[in-house]
Amino acid sequence: MATNINLDDILTRYPEEEASLIEILHDIQAAHRHLPRETMKTVAEYTGVPLSRVTAVATFYSAFSFEPKGETVIKICMGTACHVKGANLIKGEAERKLGIKAGQTTKDGKFTLEVVNCVGACAMAPLVIQNEQYYGKFKPVDLDKLLRTGE
Amino acid sequence: MIELTIDGKRVQARKGEHLLAIARREGVEIPTLCHHEAVEPSGACRMCMVEVTRPDWEGWSKLVTACNFPAEEDLIVRTRTDKVMQTRKEILELLIARTPGSQLIAEMAREYGLDHPTLTVGELSEKCILCDICTRVCQNLVTGAISRINRGVEKEVNTPFAEVSDVCIGCLACAKSCPTDAIEFKQVGLERTIWGRTFDLVPCTQCGAPTLPKEQAEWLSERTGMKVEEYFVCVKCKAAQTARTYENIAW
Repeated sequence: MATNINLDDILTRYPEEEASLIEILHDIQAAHRHLPRETMKTVAEYTGVPLSRVTAVATFYSAFSFEPKGETVIKICMGTACHVKGANLIKGEAERKLGIKAGQTTKDGKFTLEVVNCVGACAMAPLVIQNEQYYGKFKPVDLDKLLRTGE
Repeated sequence: MIELTIDGKRVQARKGEHLLAIARREGVEIPTLCHHEAVEPSGACRMCMVEVTRPDWEGWSKLVTACNFPAEEDLIVRTRTDKVMQTRKEILELLIARTPGSQLIAEMAREYGLDHPTLTVGELSEKCILCDICTRVCQNLVTGAISRINRGVEKEVNTPFAEVSDVCIGCLACAKSCPTDAIEFKQVGLERTIWGRTFDLVPCTQCGAPTLPKEQAEWLSERTGMKVEEYFVCVKCKAAQTARTYENIAW
């Protein structure tokens, strides 16, 4: 776990300007798997962006979250092609196996289940993404493998 | 200077001047919701749609937002064509669906023949049309205490984390610039509450009437160089003061 990464170490990678905001947020999200609320004020001061606009940006992009995400983030593509190819079955099976609904994180903090609207790889439909790894022509039974490797 | 046509009338304007500004100067009415003189136009509400064309466009025309469309030589602007009226009506239909409780939107909708709106999705208490005037005013002219939070159907105007803001100065610029009176505030005696924070209004040093919050006076003082105490005189007393000053001037 990388939660001991210092906020200052992240900030000093970027110049003290408005344009650094999103990069800094990305790095904090990567380090902590969420944006700790108390860090937002420091980021606002460093970039010179009002805190209100920092939160506006942080709540606009789905890449950022104020709630901690699981160690493994599983995204199920629900785009048109994946939907036709049975993405709903995969989603239902994943929800049943993990005991959570899409958009939630398991109590032990291991898995976050998300649905996304098309990732642009429709030829591989249906698609499931585990962290940054894409799995095409996915079958509900393949979930077992994904959930095991995430442990 | 350039010349263009608005609703059949030849008018003069500076090149690049926005169509809405020219129209208003010439007395041509164009409805707006998200336009505010104090901040840059944003083209958010789409109510100011007009149809533009040029002699060399061979009959082709397009709809543009008058508030931020730059004027050019020989442009022909029509503000009340069927296409324009229909578009505005559709926009109002969506707005009234979002804010069924807003009187202003209901009145505008009636003007465009929408007596019986068919859609309602918002709650009756919802008045915000997300025009962004309040956040633009606060970000650009005051302290940036509020902004748009979330996106899509969950978008709203609020303080960071919906918590009490420590940069808000209680100036009411957001509430007063809101076209639909969507931002609530309360003022009782010497107390003013907005965005969950209660400000103490300093009583007028002359008559005791409420003036403004100390936070606002300090903020103004920093920018104008005036003493903080000079802001603690109410409008009436200030007018009386000015009148006395002029009385004493020997003409």
